[in-house]
Amino acid sequence: MTQTARNARSVQVLGIDAGGTMTDTFFVDADGDFVVGKAQTTPANEAQGLLESSREGLEHWGLTLEDALRNIQTGVYSGTAMLNRVVQRKGLRVGLIVNAGMEDFHRMGRAIQAYLGFAYEDRIHINTHYYDDPLVPRDLTRGVAERIDMMGTVVIPLNEDTARTAARELIAEDVEGIVISLLHSYKNPTHERRVRDIVEDEVKASGKPIPVFASTDYYPVRKETHRTNTTVLEAYAAEPSRQTLHGISGAFKDHGSKFDFRVMATHGGTISWKAKELARTIVSGPIGGVIGAKYLGEKLGYRNIACSDIGGTSFDVALITQGELTIRNDPDMARLVLSLPLVAMDSVGAGAGSFVRLDPYTKAIKLGPDSAGYRVGVCWAESGIDTVSISDCHVVLGYLNPDNFLGGQVKLDRQRAWDAIKVQVADPLGMSVEDAAAGVIELLDAELRDYMRSMISGKGYSPGSFTCFSYGGAGPVHTYGYTEGLGFEDVIVPAWAAGFSAFGCAAADFEYRYDKSLDINIDTDAHEADKASQAEVLQAAWDELTERVLEEFERNGYAADKVELQPGFRMQYRGQLNDLEIESPIASAGGADDWDRLVSAFNDTYGRVYAASARSPELGYSVTGAIMRGTVPIPKPKIPEEPLHDATPPREARTGTRQFYRKGRWVEAQLYRMETLLPGNQIVGPAIIESDATTFVVPDGFETWLDEHRLFHLKEL
Amino acid sequence: MNIQTDIKGIVRGGETLKQHRDKIMEATKRSGHYAGLRHMELRDEHPIKYNKLFSRLRAGVVDARETAKKIAASPIVEQEGELCFTLYNAAGDSILTSTGIIIHVGTMGAAIKYMIENGWETNPGVKDRDIFCNNDSLIGNVHPCDIHTIVPIFHEGELIGWVGGVTHVIDTGAVGPGSMTTGQVQRFGDGYSVTCRKIGENDTLFRDWLHESQRAVRTTRYWMLDERTRVAGCHMIRKLVEEVIADEGIDAYWQFAYEAVEHGRLGLQNRIKAMTIPGTYRQVGFVDVPYSHDDVRVPSDFAKVDTIMHTPSEMTIRKDGTWRLDFEGSSRWGWHTYNAHSVSFTSGIWVMMTQTLIPSEMINDGAAYGTEFRLPKGTWMNPDDRRVAFAYSWHFLVSSWTALWRGLSRSYFGRGYLEEVNAGNANTSNWLQGGGFNQYDEIHAVNSFECAANGVGASAVRDGISHAAAIWNPEGDMGDMEIWELAEPLVYLGRQIKASSGGAGKYRGGCGFESLRMVWNAKDWTMFFMGNGHISSDWGLMGGYPAASGYRFAAHDTGLKEKIARGEPIPWGGDTDPENPVWDGMLEGARIKRDKQAITTEEMFADYDLYLNYMRGGPGFGDPLDRKPEAVAADVNGGYLLARFADSVYGVVLAEGERGRVVADLAATEARRAEIRQERLAQSVPTRDWMAGERDKILAKDAGTHVQQMYAASFKLGPKFERDFRAFWDLPDSWQLKEADLPIPSYGKDYSMDLSELPDVTIVKLVEE
Repeated sequence: MTQTARNARSVQVLGIDAGGTMTDTFFVDADGDFVVGKAQTTPANEAQGLLESSREGLEHWGLTLEDALRNIQTGVYSGTAMLNRVVQRKGLRVGLIVNAGMEDFHRMGRAIQAYLGFAYEDRIHINTHYYDDPLVPRDLTRGVAERIDMMGTVVIPLNEDTARTAARELIAEDVEGIVISLLHSYKNPTHERRVRDIVEDEVKASGKPIPVFASTDYYPVRKETHRTNTTVLEAYAAEPSRQTLHGISGAFKDHGSKFDFRVMATHGGTISWKAKELARTIVSGPIGGVIGAKYLGEKLGYRNIACSDIGGTSFDVALITQGELTIRNDPDMARLVLSLPLVAMDSVGAGAGSFVRLDPYTKAIKLGPDSAGYRVGVCWAESGIDTVSISDCHVVLGYLNPDNFLGGQVKLDRQRAWDAIKVQVADPLGMSVEDAAAGVIELLDAELRDYMRSMISGKGYSPGSFTCFSYGGAGPVHTYGYTEGLGFEDVIVPAWAAGFSAFGCAAADFEYRYDKSLDINIDTDAHEADKASQAEVLQAAWDELTERVLEEFERNGYAADKVELQPGFRMQYRGQLNDLEIESPIASAGGADDWDRLVSAFNDTYGRVYAASARSPELGYSVTGAIMRGTVPIPKPKIPEEPLHDATPPREARTGTRQFYRKGRWVEAQLYRMETLLPGNQIVGPAIIESDATTFVVPDGFETWLDEHRLFHLKEL
Repeated sequence: MNIQTDIKGIVRGGETLKQHRDKIMEATKRSGHYAGLRHMELRDEHPIKYNKLFSRLRAGVVDARETAKKIAASPIVEQEGELCFTLYNAAGDSILTSTGIIIHVGTMGAAIKYMIENGWETNPGVKDRDIFCNNDSLIGNVHPCDIHTIVPIFHEGELIGWVGGVTHVIDTGAVGPGSMTTGQVQRFGDGYSVTCRKIGENDTLFRDWLHESQRAVRTTRYWMLDERTRVAGCHMIRKLVEEVIADEGIDAYWQFAYEAVEHGRLGLQNRIKAMTIPGTYRQVGFVDVPYSHDDVRVPSDFAKVDTIMHTPSEMTIRKDGTWRLDFEGSSRWGWHTYNAHSVSFTSGIWVMMTQTLIPSEMINDGAAYGTEFRLPKGTWMNPDDRRVAFAYSWHFLVSSWTALWRGLSRSYFGRGYLEEVNAGNANTSNWLQGGGFNQYDEIHAVNSFECAANGVGASAVRDGISHAAAIWNPEGDMGDMEIWELAEPLVYLGRQIKASSGGAGKYRGGCGFESLRMVWNAKDWTMFFMGNGHISSDWGLMGGYPAASGYRFAAHDTGLKEKIARGEPIPWGGDTDPENPVWDGMLEGARIKRDKQAITTEEMFADYDLYLNYMRGGPGFGDPLDRKPEAVAADVNGGYLLARFADSVYGVVLAEGERGRVVADLAATEARRAEIRQERLAQSVPTRDWMAGERDKILAKDAGTHVQQMYAASFKLGPKFERDFRAFWDLPDSWQLKEADLPIPSYGKDYSMDLSELPDVTIVKLVEE
């Protein structure tokens, strides 16, 4: 990242990652140079923190906000605002219409929601389980008399009077949105759509501006708890978020911007803030990094990537295989089961701020799941924290510079950390403070490494065919630790690791994705004609979804011929309850041959994900869903390309030495200033490469090399 | 050990399996520490390495369960999580386990030990890449529908451990369809029974096994995919162990495999020390077996009797944190499917303990070694006859354990761990089961697992959580209705929280819920009920009430087809107040079954018939008169309490509030509660007088035949129980209560023949008898 100001610089792309505590901005200019800005998040008025972060970043380039915004063509937002709204139950007053007799099901939730996100110990500890308040209270829920069965057959016709009464009562309650979700509406939507129309009529007659959301129009997929939760989120949280995004867009326009913000969505593409389905922007920050890695991979030729991100509280891992993201279809978030396509990302509650404790009864060392968060640990005297955190171990062992934490904004006290580790960990285990602290780090590294390994081998791959990308504020501190011995093809730390999620947002495709449940069942040895007719059913679903994708793009001014379409499907052996998402090897389906190609793509994937012995073709196949993704080309950040220099780092990059403890001994680690290193430089550990926002640790036994794209490659010697 | 032998065994180091286990057991007995490990070298000298091994293996085992369950087709496995994987050392003692139905940590271990003790090593042989299957309840399994897959783990040609996987299958080919059927009275009717059979070699299942097993059950597809789930999970864990050994060395792994068990034992001991108060705790549990009713069709008339199952228990906690559980006085096994093996009884207790006493990462056989059990031989939880049936052993397991939960909770309360107090667990029922031809025109069995989400007992600081858990799997879930409708030809007409199902109290028990199902698209269809009806099988604590007991509602010839066509009102939602039913009035001419007969056998159902699946609540804590009046009003508004009980049970006077809601009238409530307290005083009599009256009744044998039979059977098997009973009530020697004198048959009273009497069988005894 060059710091030289150029007056003629034309800023093209802005990526935003508005986290819970910090807002990162990432600007890219026409030459592909970029800069990262940081500021505190301002929850009351998010635009304020965004503008502040932008100013801070642009200052490095000597640009004013107005100068920069004028030329920007693309702005992508990702943040946790909607998630927080849901977690804190600060959404709108929503009414819910469900089947008569089942008015309790939304508040009952699924019992799994009483322990979602819990650690093993709490999952089995019944007295810790609890339900959150439902998004829609029971007294704003109404039932309509009707039933449709799992095959889509009408069992009990819709009693329209009950729908009309439900609508009137909810309207009288002054709800701010009405959600309709009837059983098996994904299979046969006629009743649900009729109820929707009746409710819309009643709303119109009332003169109140109440939006109406039918689950079949948004998430027509099986499992009513997932589908209903997700549709409720549209009414409950998405609309307020739309207002927030509108406000942010406006604030930037006030400073001269001409672009419309797009938002990072759970499926890994960006969508307009005007998009119909905004609930899928509920979580977007962590996805940014994965998209960034995918983009770098596409540009630089990495096909299989293990993305790893360590922040203060968690370690997130995602896989990109053959250039494709893995999508999970019924994820959970904020302790709710949902039916959104979500970039599959596994998280473990262990990060740099995780607390370290000994089990009083078994003396087992426990890391997390809670953490000190922004309060760092005991080493920060003002934090009020008295439980040892991972960061305390870092400070004691010389990983971190106590005087330059967050660029010196926070001064850390090594002695405080040392004393706490002695009393809480070292003495009870009968170890020295250094060995105890190093043991904790080793244990964390091993946990993360095992986790990474199981993520990869659990999907049927081996690390040898993957490149590991390591980013996030604390990622590069542990990169060596959690990759050691796994045998990755390459391990890469981008020089802009701390702003990598924002970078990823800037690099994301403008992409809409729609899903539809299907129920195509077919025997392994079915007749050609049957296969062909089932292929046609799938094609009809693809056509329907294509229409919806094109409609969204049209809303943003893109003609159909600009949209690139990629169909997909979900398949399982007949009778199973879990399917796999497969990217279609064919663009359209018609004949029996096409069907066979779909089946063989599925069988290949199944054998890899589970075990060859788990394949069950004798049961026949079910296609459970159709998927359509559409993208349009948009400007993206250029990857830096700088000339290579000598292997030896320039003298000014060397900033001193620090005592560093690992594997039972103190060594003298050479310190470097990250920004001053030049492409081509090679550094052999023990070394610590520091910048304000991140620290990259290269212990003895490792070396790193900075390439022409400002990517560090870490290698075991 | 001084065994001189020339035989080269398969265990690492050259011992035979039997020699190895004998050595471990002998050292454990001699030293009081598992495997004689007075000092845990790996854990104490290399704590980091030890913790690394632990976290990697545990994460891998948990991950294998999460991955493998996606292979299954059965909602019981996939949605309800009724599966579990456990890693064992060479002696068959568990090192660590995944979550799920962790009772099987013990039962699969018992199967491994059975193979060890009965010479499986030489015949049929135990080789690398073999696969074994077991579901035999006579050697420790809970009930035949829990199918174990067991795979030995070898390293460089030597056996170093085992991995076991279990799933609860939907049907085992018993007399009736479903996994926990009621019609049979002997195990020969329980369905397919497999004793540690070798079912595969070289990681491949034998074809004779595949053919035989698939035709032994009704639901072949579920059976097959469940087996693939178990095999895939075991293989994932075996691979994990191989990788761990490659990284950390076989010596470290081997050491870990034994130290972890001792570590678990010490963990339990330390927890007991920290959380309880030494002393003797007594409690009791009951459940009803109402078999004389016409709707219970059994093949044998000696089984057609009403009985009560009885389990008094005495828990002795010592100052050093060791403890002993004695079940003297328990009922004899019976001619029904509610008997249990001692292993499932003890292993299950320990599952219950993991939910309160030891919710730690260190769940393994150490806890079993840290607990002394005494289960008299011949009781329902340690039968002495190889004919007994086990299909629904849970019927009384859940009801007798809730007593232990109360005992421990008194101790937690005494130590001030108010949050850990739990008034008891729900009776996990009803079980909706049945079968016939389903909506896909295939032979089918159904077994709803909605009752994995019952109400939970109250703690001493808050209400029990509603519709949330089952004692056999704390990660309970009721599942999505759309998924149950895929698996069952029954459409939902209601799913509603069951008002007043949770026990009243200062903190009330969590409520259960109810699902109204209408038969739809079924042919030649049957269903039946399974749960408690006449007896509240949990109790409530310190003044809290028990949860509501069960009942059944079913309706045939409902006329619903015509009513629906005419758009007339039909039943929806819940049977909100069963004493003031609404549905029955809508179903004129229908045959309605509404009574306390909550156990039935296969009954014919046709499309448009109705079946109510009612999931029980949990018991309450503390006197209901101490509950905040506002909380009572909120319960009524929220559908957790029938309004009429606000006054009669809680003494809360309700007034009309806004928008049809009720509010508590605080002044009137205060007066009403004072009045109730006065009434209570007025009704009370001195204990001495009350006892005198009760003693007269005992002397006159003024009790139902089922009550007399229960005590007579307990006296016969529990001489100490009888002595205590006689002393307490000061009964003369002339007072005798014998089963032979009662007007009901008592087959099994004098004649029984145990599994151990079969030729060439060595049983593994893990408890004092």
